Parts: sequence; structure tokens; C-alpha cells
Amino acid sequence: MNFSLLRNPNTLLAATVVLIAFLIPLFIGSNLYYLTVLVLMLIFIIYASAWNFLTFSGQGSLGHAAFFGLGAYSASLIAVRMGLPSLVTLLFGGIFAAVIGVLIGLTCVRLREWFLAMVTFGFAVIIQTLVVSQLAPVTGGWDGFPVPKLVPSGIQGSLMIEYYLILIITIATILLFRWLLKSRIGLALAAIRENEIEARAAGINPVPFKLFAFGISAFFAGIAGSLEISHFGYVTPEIFGIDLSFWPIIYSITGGLGTLAGPVIGTIVVTLLWDGLNAAGLTYARFIIIGVLLVLIIIFLPKGLVSLPAEITKRLRRKDA
Amino acid sequence: MKRTNVISVFLAACLILLVLGTGCTQQQAPSAQSGEVKIGVVASMTGAASTTGKDIWQSAELAADEINAMGGVRIDSLGKSVPIRLIQGDDESTREGGMKAVSKLITQDNVDLLVGGYSSAVVSAHQSIVAENKVPYIISGGSSSSVSHRNDLDTSYMFFHRPNTDDSGEASILFIDEVVRPAVNAKFGFPAERPLKVAVIYQDSPFGKGQLDAVKNVIKAKSLPIEVVAEEPFKMGESDFRTVLTSVKAKNPDMIYSVTFLNELVPLTQQARRDVNFNTLIMAIENNDDPDYYKGVGTYGDGMVMESRFSPYAVPKGSTEVATRQFLSNFDKKYGGFAGMMGAATYESIYIAKEAIEKAGSLEKAKVRDSLANLAMPQMMEIMKGGTIQFSPDFRESKFDLYVVQLSMDQASGEPRPEIVWPKNLEARGFVLPDWYTPGTS
Amino acid sequence: MDVSISILSQVAFWGLYSGCIYILLATGLNLIFGVMKIVNFAHGEFLMLGTYITFFLFVITGFNPYVLLIGSIPILIGIGVIVERLCFRPILGTGKLNEIFISLGLIYIFQNLVAMVWTDEWRSIKSPFADMTIDLGPLQLPLDYLIIIVVTIVILVSLYIFLQKTPIGKAIRATSQNRKGAMLMGIDVEKINMLTFGIGAGLAGAAGTLWAVSGQVFNPYMGSIPAIKGFAIIILGGLGSIPGAIVGGLAIGMVENFTAFTLGGSWKDAVSFILLIVVLVLRPTGLFGEEEE
Repeated sequence: MNFSLLRNPNTLLAATVVLIAFLIPLFIGSNLYYLTVLVLMLIFIIYASAWNFLTFSGQGSLGHAAFFGLGAYSASLIAVRMGLPSLVTLLFGGIFAAVIGVLIGLTCVRLREWFLAMVTFGFAVIIQTLVVSQLAPVTGGWDGFPVPKLVPSGIQGSLMIEYYLILIITIATILLFRWLLKSRIGLALAAIRENEIEARAAGINPVPFKLFAFGISAFFAGIAGSLEISHFGYVTPEIFGIDLSFWPIIYSITGGLGTLAGPVIGTIVVTLLWDGLNAAGLTYARFIIIGVLLVLIIIFLPKGLVSLPAEITKRLRRKDA
Repeated sequence: MKRTNVISVFLAACLILLVLGTGCTQQQAPSAQSGEVKIGVVASMTGAASTTGKDIWQSAELAADEINAMGGVRIDSLGKSVPIRLIQGDDESTREGGMKAVSKLITQDNVDLLVGGYSSAVVSAHQSIVAENKVPYIISGGSSSSVSHRNDLDTSYMFFHRPNTDDSGEASILFIDEVVRPAVNAKFGFPAERPLKVAVIYQDSPFGKGQLDAVKNVIKAKSLPIEVVAEEPFKMGESDFRTVLTSVKAKNPDMIYSVTFLNELVPLTQQARRDVNFNTLIMAIENNDDPDYYKGVGTYGDGMVMESRFSPYAVPKGSTEVATRQFLSNFDKKYGGFAGMMGAATYESIYIAKEAIEKAGSLEKAKVRDSLANLAMPQMMEIMKGGTIQFSPDFRESKFDLYVVQLSMDQASGEPRPEIVWPKNLEARGFVLPDWYTPGTS
Repeated sequence: MDVSISILSQVAFWGLYSGCIYILLATGLNLIFGVMKIVNFAHGEFLMLGTYITFFLFVITGFNPYVLLIGSIPILIGIGVIVERLCFRPILGTGKLNEIFISLGLIYIFQNLVAMVWTDEWRSIKSPFADMTIDLGPLQLPLDYLIIIVVTIVILVSLYIFLQKTPIGKAIRATSQNRKGAMLMGIDVEKINMLTFGIGAGLAGAAGTLWAVSGQVFNPYMGSIPAIKGFAIIILGGLGSIPGAIVGGLAIGMVENFTAFTLGGSWKDAVSFILLIVVLVLRPTGLFGEEEE
């Protein structure tokens, strides 16, 4: 084992977080509420990381709920029709979302960022309309349909097993993103994001890379969607809702756009804050606080919460000088 | 430096709130030790359904206060009466929010019983944890039959105190067949066997789709001479119905059956009569029987009909009248304003919970469940089949005697007011086709 | 089904009428984009604020709601100026799409502030002309809608004159055409930004008053969908092109209504986006958009 890796503070931090995540159930036991909050948090970490991956290629989406929901629907349909376990079908969900993602990407690669934002947003609206109207015979329309749970609820400690399964999937997802970004693909994506014209000049054709980013992002959004639905045990078209497109954006920005840790930290901080405010009995004020937080972070801390320690030391030093 | 100050102050404030919040979620002791009955109220305090959510919460509070003022809930196993404590669970009108709220109520607050639940989609997402944790849940919303008739999980702890979509669809169609069709045929000299042409305008949602299906099923099952000539969906929250109405009008229906929320029915009615010049009979359903509707629609509501089960202005005569008037006046005293249909059902649900716990003589969840399943308590405000509130053996749904009101202008208030016109045993007057009514040409 | 000319012309009229709200929103968005090169996703919240300010003024003064335009427009201009100064100026020229992300925060803030003040129940007001209609041959049109169409035209014409004839208007156009050049000519572009943003918000406020006057119900969450459609319209018409906004607004109003007429109301929202995607695939800069750089 290579211990020198642990000397890197970031790796150390990440390892600590993972360790805590594995140990948490020892402290909270099989507490339904905490496990529910944690499971949803993990699912949204995957989802926000998937959304964030798109920004590594300089693209953005306002309608990722389309892929979240497509993954959920396709995985659920296969699970119900073919009697396969949800753990297997979530892969199909991801793949289906990725295929559609690449197709959408094809229409988007030539577009400017605002146009892309609008097209993705509109796509989620179109998909929802299709699911409840023309596709209703297959999807059950607005009624939706029941879906097998990830871990059958008869099993002792099913929620705990579910938590560990999703935790492993989450860690695997983030490690894969990390590997991708360190690879040549990641370098090419960075070049395209910084300056597309220069990247072209350096012989990088941006189109396949952008499509790749779109596909991967949609894939993991689809995985996250199938996980959420197999956690709920029931799928309805509300999964394509606007709020589900916006949450991963809020999480990623709060944590730090274009960083691996950003969506993770953002999801944890925002969900804890949200549930804490909820428990404190705040209703509309909860939304206002999240809105203010978002605005303040974009203006004062554009690199998100991950940059907060560095920013503070920088300012303290300047004050000393 | 200034910038870091702003953000650090803000973050500090957030952290304090966070600590406060988590402080509130300390696990609570089960009721048997704390000497109270804890009821979790699942209500949408924020998000799209928050208006209804407030109605649900306030009515639940009203019921709990009344019960506590009368000494609380008698529990034999404790040998004493204990007060009810309500705990709010905000489902945020989302599936995720509902999941968190319900799991918090079950584990953190250790509630003895759950009450509430509104949107079918939200309820369907947290049904699984209720089933796993076996907490009795009196659901006053989730009207879609697909929620109560689920067979993929154990719903034996869920009790539905509301008519499902099939029930309300059936009542409306029976009224149309028994009353509207003969009236139209008689007034315009049509042959008695002429079928009535109905256009359905429905909200594109589980609620709207469920009602549409129910209407079509009833017509088919009873082979009634009613023809659905148009099925027009519209987006939830729509305010512009002119084109939909124009298109429906071109299909020559004798009446419109509209499945809407209140905020949609106001523009729909106004635009039909005023903008599209569509002088037809509009029938709406129960959730619109609300003072806000009468205020919003004004003169254009004159003559229209509505299927209902709790009417703030048209209180049916008989045993339920006193209870209803009392509820309305107490609600007005406490919160100012009218209680709605969902509020009434939640208010009753709290009393149902009290009755079931007292009959069970214990707070043990399995016993309370059995007691709910065998419940037969006298109706309170909403009129029940056979005059008693009881849950059906198959899917544990209570059965309502639904009625139909017709609106006519009240000169004093400048607003229309409802009167019960169907069924016979409840009616205040007979149904009349408005003078301006024109049937569809055949 | 017999589709007569009168029905078609009636549907076209509803399209024209609903197009008015979109045109006002889209013109504002486009004006802002032209000068600042940002897209304000929270523009619909200005529409919503416009309806509530109209509602509030109507309740306390009881004036004819059309007169309240003189209240809602300046108040919204003020709010727009403040929002620009506090939220958008600091992020100009920073990361891509940052303005959209900050708008998401603003959406939450505005919607819930209004919900705290006025609750989120549906509201409506009644126009004094609500019951009057005018017969125009086969068409029977409510007086309110005709007034709304006329008011929209008056607002657009005044905006045009303002942009063409006044020194400030000329400065706005100059900044829009060439920001650096305008700076060199001694135009204070930051002031122009603020002003333009305010005017955009004011147009949305006017749309809000018209929304309320036409008897449509509103709640704090009503602004998002019209704003997103406004956004789709300016992309359809071409970013920064005012004629594009007008043509796009009319096109979306018409297409929506004819779709509701043929495919049914559930496709009403989706069809605007289908149209948008089709146009963008064929012409990535929109109908009237100029080629990039």
C-alpha cells in the first residue's frame, strides 16, 4: 500500500469522509429517519456529480431531470416486465439515459451555452409530456406504477443494506470521475472548456469529447434516478419536475463548480441545512435562505465552499501583511 | 475583508439554525411513557399544495384542541385519559420531502398514528415505509384509486378517509343521467332516449386523469345513454382555456364536465361564458366547493353544478348540520376564514383516530389498526353511506354519500351560492336548467 | 369536425392576446441581453411582482387597474435597478451561465418573500370592463383584451421612440451594438446596464398588470413558466433582436393555441420547446440572430 498518498491533505480528507460514511450506521443504528436522509443524500451526490461532470466539458444543462427520470422509468419498466432485480436494471436505466443523452448532445454541440440550457430544459418538459400522453399505455401515465425495491423490504435491516450498496455505488462513481478527469480524456475536456478554438488548433476535435461528457453525465443521472425510484418503490411522472433539474445545480454551485469534491460537499451542506431548517419549523424562509446562500456564494465565493479554507487563509495573510 | 465578513456571518447564522434544527429532532420517547397520544400530520406546508396543506394542519389542530379541552383520549391500558399532541410533517409537496417527513415522524417523533397526506404522487412514494414500519395511517387525500388499491405492498395499516376517483365520478355521472339528461330532453323537445353529449375538460395530472377514467368506466359499466364527445386535457395551473373551450364548443356538447383545481375553474367558467360565448352547463367536482371559488367566479358561476361532500354554504339538513356549522364557526373564530373540504376530512380523521384508540384501549399499533378496521362510528360532518364512518374490508376506504349543488346568484353578496339539488333525500330544491342554456345541436 | 373561419380567427385572436404578455417579457429580456449579454432567468418573478403590486395598489386605491400601470412600471424599474446593482453587476464577465445560476437563487427569494407577505393563495382582481364585449363581424371580443392589445402596442411604440430619439435611448443602442466603442465614447456603461435592466423589469411589470387586469388568477409561483417561454422566444427570434422578440412572441402565442386546438392542452408547453429545438437544429443562431463573432 502506498502511504505517501495519504500525505496529500485532500486524499486524507476524502478518506476520512469515506470512513465516516462507512461508520455512521454504527452510531445511528438502523434509525429510519437518518438512514432515509443519508440514502437520499447519497443518491443526490451521484446526481449532482453527474451534472457537474458536464461542466468539465464547458457545457451545462437545466433539464437533467430528463435523464434522471428516463433512467428511473427504463430501469423500472425492465424490472417490472422482465422480473429482474433493481440492482441489475439500474445499469439499463443508466445506459438508456446515456443513449438519449448522446442524441440530445448531438443537437446541442453546435449551440451556444444559453441555447443549450434552454434545449435541455425544454427536453425535460417534452419527455414528461410524452410519458403522460402518448407513452401512457407503457408508462402508466400520471398514475405511474409500483417498482421493486432495491433491497426487498422483507429482509432484516434492508434499509441498512441499501445504504451500504448505494454508498459503494457512490464511491465507485466518484472514483470513476476522478480517473476520467486524470486521463487524457479529462485533459482534452479541460482544453475544450478553457478555449474551444485553441483546442481545435491543437488537433482536438471537441465534438466527440462533448458527446462523451454528455453521455457519461446522463448515464450517472440515470443511475441516480433508478436508485431513487427503487428506494421509493413507486414511479410517477413528477420525477421530471423542474425542481429535480435545479437541485443538482444548487448543490454543485454551493460546493464548487468544476471540482470533484464540490457536488459532494454541496449536497451534504445544503441537504443538512435544508432538513435542519425544516425541523426548526421554517417554511418559506427555508427557500429564501437557500436562495440567499446561492446568490452570496456565486458573488463572493465563485469557486464554492471547497475554496472557503483557501480563501480565508488568503485573506488572513493579506490582513497580516 | 468585507466580503468574507458577509459570508461568514451568513454561514454562522445557517449553522446556528442547523444546530437548532437537529436539536429538535432528538428522538422522543414512545407515548406510553410520555402520557400523550402523538399524531403525525402529513401536510404540504410548502410547495405547490401549501394552501391545502395549511387547511389540513389548522383543522387537525382545531380537532386536537377540542378533544384535549374535553379531557383527551381515554386509554384503558394506562387507566387514564391523555391529551393529543400533533406533530407537523411538511412533505414540501414533493416525493422526497414526504419520504423524509414521514420517516422523521415515525422514528424521531415516535408517533402513534399518522393522519393527512394529499397529493397522490407524494403519498405513493412514502407508502412503502409506512407499510414496513406498520404505523396506522389515516389518509385524507391520495384520491387516486391506484394509491389505495396497491397490491405490491402491505397496505393493511393505511385507511383512506376520502372518496376515491371512482366514487366521485360515479356520483357525478348518476346525477347527469338521472337529472340533467331528462331535463334537457324535456325542455327542448328531444326524444326521451336521446343520449346526452358530455365534454370532459380535465387537468393533465393523476387527479384529472383518474376522474376522466372513472367517468368513462361508470358510463360503460352501466351502459348509460351518455356520450363523451370530447376529452381535453390542460396543463396544471393553466389560466387560459379559451382555445380548449373553442375546440370543445365545436364538438357540440350538451354540457361540460370539468376536473380542475379552484384556480383553474375560475378562469375556465369566466372564459366559457364571456369570451367563448359558450352557454352550456358546467359541472365541476368537490374540491371546488369553496368560498374562494364563489368569490372569484362572480356572476359567471350562475347556474352551474358541482359534485360535493362538504359545502361551506349549502349545509345538508339533518344530523350533520349542527356539527358542520360548529366546525365552520370554530374554525373561523380560531383562524379567520373558511375551512375547506380537505380540512373537514382531516378534522374528522383526528376524531376517527381518537375513537379507534379508545376502542382499542391501548396505543399498541397493531391493536389500533384492528380497531380502525372494525370501526363503526357515527358520521360527523360529511355524509357517509349508512350514516356511519367505516372502512371497507377490501381496501380500507370509507364510503361517502356524495351530493350535487347548483349555484344561483345571491344579490346581497354579489356572489353565487350553492344549494343541494341531488340526491332526493338531501335536496333543498330541484335542479333547473338556466334560461340562457343552449344544448348542443345534434 | 367542421372548422369554420370564425373559429380559426377566434383561436388566432386568443393567440394574439396571449402573445402580448410574451412579447413584453421577451422584449425586456432581449433589451437586457443586447446590452449586458446575460439572460435573466428570474425575469418571470418581475411579472409576478407586477401582478402583486397591481393587486396591492388596486386594493388600497380602488383605481381602474389600467391606471395602475403608472404604479407598477416605475416600481419594477426601481426593483430591476437594485437587483442589477446587487446581484448581476458583480458577476458580469465571470463564468459561463453564472447569471442563470444566480437567477435560480433570485427565483427562490422573490417567490417566497411574496408568499410570506401575501400567502400563496391564488388571487385575482376584476376589471371594470370585465363584462363588456365588442362585436366585430364573426368575432365577439371582450373589451379588456382589445385594450390589452392596444396598451401593448403603445408601450412598444413608446419604447421604440425612447430608444431612437432620446440621448439615453441612443446610448443604450450604442452599448448594445458595441460595448467597448460605447465606453470609448464616454458612455457610462455600468449606468446603462442598470437602466436597461430596470426598463426590462418595468416591461415585465407592465405585463404583470395586464395579466392581472385580464382577470387571470396569480400566485407567487406563476412567473416561471411565462418567463421560460419568454426565454425560448428570444432564442427563437435571435438573441438581442427586438423584431425577433416580437415575431417570436407572436409565433409562440399562435403555435401554442393552435396546438391546444389540435393536439390537446397537454402539449401546450412542450410544443414551444419542440419548435425551439427544430429551429435551433436548422439555424443554430435563431431566426433573426446574427452569426457569432
